[in-house]
Amino acid sequence: MRRDRKNPGLVPVPEWIGDVWTLVAPLGLLYLVTAIASGVSSSARVDLGYMLVNLVIVVGLSIFVSNSGVLSFGHLAFVAVGAWTMSLLTIPVEMKDSIMPGLLPVLRDASLPPLVAVVVAAVVGGILGLIAGAALMRLHGLEAGIATFALLMLVVQVLTYSTALGPKSGQSMVGIPQTLDLQAVLVIALLMVVAAWAYGRSRSARFLRASRDDITAAPASGIDVTKHRIIAFTVSGAVAAVGGALWAQTNRVVQASQFNLDFTFTTIAMLVIGGMFSLWGAVVGVIVVSVLNHVLGLLESGMQFGGVIVSLPSGSRLIIVGLVLIVVLILRPGGLTGGREARWPLRPRLTLDLSPKSVIRK
Amino acid sequence: MNFLQALIDATSAGAVYALAALGIGLVFGVLRLANFAYGEIITASAYTLVIVWPMNPVLAVLGAALVGVAVALAMNYAVFTWLRSQSSATLLIASFGLSILLQRIYEGVFGANVLSASVAGGLSTSIDLGAVRLNLLSVVTIVLAVLLLVGVQLFLTRTSIGLQVQAASADFRIARLLGVRSGLVIAVTFAISGFIAAAVAFVLTVQSGTVGPSFGVQPTLFGLIGAVIGGLRNLRGAVVGGFVVGVALSLLTSWLPPEINPFRTAFVYLLVIAVLVLRPNGLFSAGAGKVRT
Repeated sequence: MRRDRKNPGLVPVPEWIGDVWTLVAPLGLLYLVTAIASGVSSSARVDLGYMLVNLVIVVGLSIFVSNSGVLSFGHLAFVAVGAWTMSLLTIPVEMKDSIMPGLLPVLRDASLPPLVAVVVAAVVGGILGLIAGAALMRLHGLEAGIATFALLMLVVQVLTYSTALGPKSGQSMVGIPQTLDLQAVLVIALLMVVAAWAYGRSRSARFLRASRDDITAAPASGIDVTKHRIIAFTVSGAVAAVGGALWAQTNRVVQASQFNLDFTFTTIAMLVIGGMFSLWGAVVGVIVVSVLNHVLGLLESGMQFGGVIVSLPSGSRLIIVGLVLIVVLILRPGGLTGGREARWPLRPRLTLDLSPKSVIRK
Repeated sequence: MNFLQALIDATSAGAVYALAALGIGLVFGVLRLANFAYGEIITASAYTLVIVWPMNPVLAVLGAALVGVAVALAMNYAVFTWLRSQSSATLLIASFGLSILLQRIYEGVFGANVLSASVAGGLSTSIDLGAVRLNLLSVVTIVLAVLLLVGVQLFLTRTSIGLQVQAASADFRIARLLGVRSGLVIAVTFAISGFIAAAVAFVLTVQSGTVGPSFGVQPTLFGLIGAVIGGLRNLRGAVVGGFVVGVALSLLTSWLPPEINPFRTAFVYLLVIAVLVLRPNGLFSAGAGKVRT
């Protein structure tokens, strides 16, 4: 049992409290924000829906990025696949006939309840993650980033032009029923946080973090880095696909061109602003950027401050998020959380320091 | 002679991406920054060309070059100077953010719709050489690319500051210890990459005659991808990689049968993945040197 150095007389809080706190803190914060935001206004409730969806996507992304230390620009590929799965499985058959006449017969007749469709989306995302991971996970650094990006572009191109899998290019899928309410989405989001936390505590994730902190020493200690990256990529793909499925039924209009650079940027900015090396960072980042987005959205539509109407030009949201991202990278490269998991707030403090000694190595 | 014509078009498309890869590769060499915001330098020059050309063509060309250099230097001093000690992944994310930010600013200043003007309309004519119809722009593009490549090569090998750039690319810390002025070297590299961006902007605006906020994204993406598959750590490899991507794109466009032609970009990305899987250090890398697990 460790002793608190500053107060040697105090017996530290048992370590398991610190461990559990790394799960309880993100769950509690998320629940609290949802509870507050759903009472503010109807526009806040709409943004809240998107926040929860983005949370699932970013948590999915962080399962891979924060444990492996390898950057992925391609996780929207899983989001796209998840959104596609959800749409194809829940749009009524008659509607599919009219907007997607060239659809494969199997997909045309498939119809599942929305919750089952979410599970199927996770499976499809996981399978894509496994296949893509097996091909790409030997790469490091920049090459890995570009390769994952190529994966995204490949998936988007196929979904755009293939009439066997969706509508004609440039057209969108509509008629996705919104059956999961905010409550259900919140429960799924909380479950995904639990899944990410559970993976983070597994043997595989610990191996990966070892390789993140030292890519030479980890394999030398007998860790099969490629294998564990593939596992993380698969899990993370499945969670991101769940995010995609939720996105489809929140947005209700799905088109391949929506999975573009702006969307990619938003998810990466959320993760990096929060801190890309921890689950806590992902959750904090999503909440901070979403709140910022909501406020800026209100400002864009004009807001009154004691008689003065302040209104920002439309499109300034991404400018400000971009600025925040750059400023955070300059002043606090580890993100707002510094890459740490949530820390037990009461004294004597426990340090459960999972942060790497430095940011990703080359 | 359809084949020869397709070959010339492909060479010219390859030349554009080779230039983009050169601009990106130069900066990567000294700073380990894969500058995603390179496209926004191209866009700034392209806006200058389209807006100023109707008034005065000479001024437009000079202005575009100046704007390209100025925007590149501004990026360096406003953002990347502060991030010099960060990993290349952090730099890439920062440049990604900068790219999105600048695109929105262009949208706010110039509007979301494209601006158009016929820039150097004379270049879009073709010369009939018996069997082959030679597109003047293709020839100009190839000549421009060759001139710039030779120019950069001479600069890197024949001038003192060029040698310092090479030294900094080989090992930044040791070069600094040996008295290479790092700030100057980085600034010069950015300026040259900005000048090259202006050249890319010239070719692309003559080709399309229109500029929008995301004008530079596509050439930068393919230039960056080309540079990566060619091997970013080796400038010649990067240039050849960019060239290969351009040629592949152009040839796939003219030769794929119409029913799968829309998937041509997908084929290019598949090719990129295949190259990265088979040769993770780049097509033209010297071999050893990089950790693989």
